Amino acid sequence: MFALTTTGLTKEYGRRRLPSRLPFRGAAAAPVRALDSLDIAVREGEIFGFLGPNGAGKSTTIRLLLGFLHPTAGDGRVLGLDIATDSVAIRRRIGYLPGGIALYDSLTGERLLEYLAELSGRPPVRRAELCARLDLSPGTLKRLVRDYSRGMRQKIGIVQAFQHDPELAILDEPTEGLDPLMQRAFYGILDTLKAEGKTIFFSSHVLSEVERVCDRVAIIRRGRLVAIEEMAGLLARHKRNVTIYLQGPPPPLNDVPGVSSVELRDGRLTCRVEGDIRPFLAAIAGAAIADLTIEPTHLEEAFLELYQDGEP
Amino acid sequence: MNGALFRHTWRSQRTRLAIVSTGLAVWGFFLPVVYGKFGSQFRAVIESGLFPEEFARFGGGDIFSLPGSLALSLIHPIAIILTSVFSVGYSTGAVAGERQRGTLEVALARPISRRGFYLTLLAAAFGFVTVTVASLLAGGIAGSWFAGVIGELAVRNVPLLWLNSVLLFGSFAAIGLAASVSFDRLAPALGVTIGLMVTMYFFDVLGSLWPDAARLQPYSLFHYMQPKAILLGDGSLLDLTVLAAVIVAAMVWALVVFPRRDVAAPS
Repeated sequence: MFALTTTGLTKEYGRRRLPSRLPFRGAAAAPVRALDSLDIAVREGEIFGFLGPNGAGKSTTIRLLLGFLHPTAGDGRVLGLDIATDSVAIRRRIGYLPGGIALYDSLTGERLLEYLAELSGRPPVRRAELCARLDLSPGTLKRLVRDYSRGMRQKIGIVQAFQHDPELAILDEPTEGLDPLMQRAFYGILDTLKAEGKTIFFSSHVLSEVERVCDRVAIIRRGRLVAIEEMAGLLARHKRNVTIYLQGPPPPLNDVPGVSSVELRDGRLTCRVEGDIRPFLAAIAGAAIADLTIEPTHLEEAFLELYQDGEP
Repeated sequence: MNGALFRHTWRSQRTRLAIVSTGLAVWGFFLPVVYGKFGSQFRAVIESGLFPEEFARFGGGDIFSLPGSLALSLIHPIAIILTSVFSVGYSTGAVAGERQRGTLEVALARPISRRGFYLTLLAAAFGFVTVTVASLLAGGIAGSWFAGVIGELAVRNVPLLWLNSVLLFGSFAAIGLAASVSFDRLAPALGVTIGLMVTMYFFDVLGSLWPDAARLQPYSLFHYMQPKAILLGDGSLLDLTVLAAVIVAAMVWALVVFPRRDVAAPS
C-alpha cells in the first residue's frame, strides 16, 4: 500500500488566462514549469527522502500535496485521498513542518502548540513525549515565541507537526537550525515513528541525514524526477573509492569490470569500483597488500553524479 | 466557521480592541458634551453669516443639535480612523499579512477549508466592528446624559443607527478581507482598501459641502449612512440594503477567489 502517490503531477507558474487577441498578451512572461510530470509512490511505513537543490521543485511538490497550490496537470493521492478534492480530509491526518517555519510571535510556546492542536481537531497525545525528547522544558514553553532562538523555533515546529500523532508527516528541511545533539534526538524520534509504522516524507538538503534516516530516495532536478530507488541500491550502483597500500607489484586492474580511475604512486594504488565488487576482489586476491580501504559510497557522491550526468 | 481560529483571533486582538473601543467611547462622549456646553454659541456664529452655511453640515453632522453632534461623532475623520483599525487594518492583514509572514501556511496545514477560514475571519471582523461602533454610541449616550441633553435623543432610534454603522464599517471590512484574500502581499490589499475608503469619504464630504459635487455622493458608501436622519426617525431601508449588498458582493468575490488561488510561499 502507498501512503502517497503522484501521477504526472505538473505545476506551471505564471500561466495567463487572457484571450490571445488582447494586445498585451504577447508581452506576458512565459509560464515557468516548476514541476514536470512527477511520478512518485511512497510506501506506508517508510521514510522517504526527497532531494534536490534550491528551485528543483521540492517545496512546490509539498505545497501541491497539501492543497496550497493547484496542479496544472496530473494528480496525486495522500492516504488514499485526492489532493485536489479531499485536501481538508488529508490535512486532518497528516503533520506538516514547513521549511523555515514562521510562528505566531506574540504567543507563548505552550499557547501556540495548544492553538495548533485545537486547529488540528485532534488531541496532542505526543506533545509531552516530544517536548521531553527535544529538551523543551515547561519553563521554556511559557516564554514568548518571539524570544526563541532559531533552533527553539524549529523544535516547536517539529512538536507541532507530530503532537497529534499523524499517520503521515511531511517535513521540509526538518533539522534546519538544530544543534547536533537535537539532530540526534530528532533522528531518534523518526526511528520511533518508523517502528510504529508511520510514514515520513522528508525533504532535505542535508544529504548525510537523508542517507542516515531514509529507506528510499527520490531526486528531482528542474522539476523532473531524476531517480527514485532504495537508498542501499542507489549507493551500491555508484562508485566506491578504494585505496590499496602494496608491498609488491600492483595487481592487473585495467581490464576488471567496474574498476576505473586506477592510479599508482609510491606503492599506493587508488581506483574506483562500481557495481559488483567480486571481480575486483578476485583481481587483487594474489597481490601483496599491506592495507586496504574501501570507502562506502555516500549519497552526496551519488547525488552529484546524477546531477552532473544530466547537466546540459 | 472554526471555533479555535475565532477564539485565537479575538484573543490576539483583545488589547487593540480595548484601546480602540475606549478611544471611540471617549470621542463619542466628547461631542454631545461640546454640543451641550457650546452648541447655541456655535449656532449663533454660523447664523451671523461669518462662515458659509455649508460648514455647519460636514458630512451630514453638526454641533447645533444632539442628533447632529452624534452624527458628527460617527462620520468625523477621528472616528473613521479609529474604526479603520479593524475595518481596514485587521481585515486586510488577516490573510495577506499572515501569508506574507508565513503563518498562513501553518494555519492552513490544519483541516480547515479556505472558505471556512475566510468566513471565520469575516465573522471576527464583524464582531470587532460591532463592538467598536457600540462603544462609540455608548460614549455618545453617556456624553448626552452627562451634558444633561439626553432628553433630546430618541433612544429607540439608536439600535438602527448602530445597525447602519455596523453595515457601513462592515462593508469596508468585507472589502478589506476580499482584497486580503486576493493578494499575496499586504501592501496592495491595504492600498486598495484605503484608496477606496478615502475616495468614497472624499466624495461624500465634498458633496455635503459643495452642492455641485452632490452627484458624487451616491458612489460613496458613506452616503448610505445618514446618522442624523436615523436619529430623527427618518432612516432609509434602502441604505441598509445597499450596504448589505456590498457586503454580499465582497463575500461572493472572496468565497470564489480564495479557494482558487495558489497560496504563495512566504516572503
